[in-house]
Amino acid sequence: MSDVARTTEVAAVDSPAIVRPKFKLRSTKPMIDRYRWYEALGLYAGLAVFLFFVLAPFIEGFLVSLKPLALLFSTPYSFWPSNGSFDAYIRMWDSVPLLGLYIFNSFFISSIVTIVVVIVVVPAAYAFARFQFNGAGLMLGGFLAVNMFSGAVLLIPLFRLMRSLGLLNTYWAMIVPGAAFLIPSSIWLLRTYMIRIPKELDEAAWVDGASRLYTLRRVILPLAMPGIVVVAIMTFIGAYAQQFIFALTFNSKSEFMPLPIGLFAFFGKQEVIWNELMAASFVGVLPVMVVIVFLQRYLVAGLTAGAIKQ
Amino acid sequence: MSQLSLKHLEKSFNEARIIKGIDLEVTEGEFVVFVGPSGCGKSTLLRMIAGLEDVSSGEIEIGGRVVNDLPPVQRGIAMVFQSYALYPHMSVYENIAFPLRVERLPQAQVDERVGAAAKVLQLESRLQHRPGQLSGGQRQRVAIGRAIVRQPKIFLFDEPLSNLDAALRSEMRIELMELHKRLGSTMIYVTHDQVEAMTMADKIVVLDAGTISQVGSPLDLYHRPDNLFVAGFIGSPKMNFIGGKVTAADGTTVTVDLGALGTIALPRQSRSVAGQSVTVGIRPEHLRLGEGDFALTVTPNIVEHLGIHTVTYATLPGGENFIGLFEGDPDVPEGTPLKIGFATEQVHLFDQAGLAVY
Repeated sequence: MSDVARTTEVAAVDSPAIVRPKFKLRSTKPMIDRYRWYEALGLYAGLAVFLFFVLAPFIEGFLVSLKPLALLFSTPYSFWPSNGSFDAYIRMWDSVPLLGLYIFNSFFISSIVTIVVVIVVVPAAYAFARFQFNGAGLMLGGFLAVNMFSGAVLLIPLFRLMRSLGLLNTYWAMIVPGAAFLIPSSIWLLRTYMIRIPKELDEAAWVDGASRLYTLRRVILPLAMPGIVVVAIMTFIGAYAQQFIFALTFNSKSEFMPLPIGLFAFFGKQEVIWNELMAASFVGVLPVMVVIVFLQRYLVAGLTAGAIKQ
Repeated sequence: MSQLSLKHLEKSFNEARIIKGIDLEVTEGEFVVFVGPSGCGKSTLLRMIAGLEDVSSGEIEIGGRVVNDLPPVQRGIAMVFQSYALYPHMSVYENIAFPLRVERLPQAQVDERVGAAAKVLQLESRLQHRPGQLSGGQRQRVAIGRAIVRQPKIFLFDEPLSNLDAALRSEMRIELMELHKRLGSTMIYVTHDQVEAMTMADKIVVLDAGTISQVGSPLDLYHRPDNLFVAGFIGSPKMNFIGGKVTAADGTTVTVDLGALGTIALPRQSRSVAGQSVTVGIRPEHLRLGEGDFALTVTPNIVEHLGIHTVTYATLPGGENFIGLFEGDPDVPEGTPLKIGFATEQVHLFDQAGLAVY
């Protein structure tokens, strides 16, 4: 709504006795943030279109999960679940008894991948950010190159590797390649973050007698925490998303299966139980949402304020 | 006894020689200032003494011990960085205590030393704050506090005041000088600001392109600069330089032809400058309105009235800038020719190599 209008209104109520100001009272917002009503309307309309575009699949998915199966195949198709219920959310546990385990597996694999990645990436990023060594540029370039291949391209060599390492049909079959493909981009991300931490802090600590590891632990880690949290979130989401292909290829034991494979269980011989499938998807995504909501509180900017004169 | 001595110190980054052979002795308790234009290597030299840069050749001796290969903490130095380098996630207390935590000192001793430093620096009420909540001057004091608790033999300051505004800078300058008096430790201070150098130093080391241009007390450098570089660097406003040619040097007097400005006779014993192209230097503050041993007429194109001083800027016939500094508020309008005189004993003479002739 227009701020200009609101401010004028308030002013008029506040000062009925005083002579009406000749000029309209101006909004207190900075010039750069002032919009006319139609500009604001345009902005929100644009936002709505964009948001709808992004969220439409989720909305439809959610609506599907509420509909009885019969309604899904009705013609004409009705988007609105007229006699919707949460039945699918209850029945899905019976249709696929291992569903809980699948969700746990997904969560478990992603968590382990995240922990492994963070443990590996923090010292690596610190080294790439602070040390000059031969081949640093080459290695960073190599990491970038690795990112250009998706895991799918390398599935067959990876399969042979997993087999010779005896990792097939274990959790490790999904954790190891998952972590391996996420480490390079995380190193890039965290390295950039750590470069922004002033080098004088390392030097000051070094002059005061601190070792490299002590400096990393007491000075760099706390300051890089927002960056590390970003890396952790990205890794967790990445691991959650990419499990499908690794689980499909390297694992055939259903007790180790993550959710994306587990969802296949809803594909029956005759029909697909779409509403329960959607319900299971939403329940499966829930842990990720919880993690993000929990971690994003730590994404506080400005933690480096006051380190050096800006 | 000399506490720090640099022996033919050199530093190269790849092909570039940054420090080109520096010899220097620093006595215990001295306040030494390294001054020079940016890029002259003064910070690099300080970082070499600190142990943050390795030495390409030469020796650094602290307390009679060669420390070239010792890490900073074993050199008995503490350093204050230009950017303060405070740890933003720690309280002021923990920032100051950081070196002691590294040493794993018992808590009682940490308390005692941090308390003492905080008292000296008037930070007692700020100990639980974060650096981000402090003003620039207080942050600087925290950085100094972190240096004090180590009880070093030598303090190294790398342009510590250059991030502060002018008023705070002169305040902190005085605080630092008081601190030096109280602690009595050796301090080495890097700055590009010659006012800081002049006011604080016992001994100024003027650096130019990786070499020492001159070492001496502030007034030494002011009154008897060894060369054109020091003459031009020390003093504000800058010394005026006028190019000329020596027409006669008879052992008591050197006569210099200044072209359109006339001829000036200077009391100098040197005979070797005869026939050379030389530079005559006169400080703006040594100029008087009216007659003198030598007088010239200039037309100031800019006049600054500072109340206590009046500064005039003019261009000489030879193209050199000519600055005059006069006490009080004399009537010197812009664009009107002005007669300026000075005493020949206050004139500096530099030979064609730029070295002072006495």
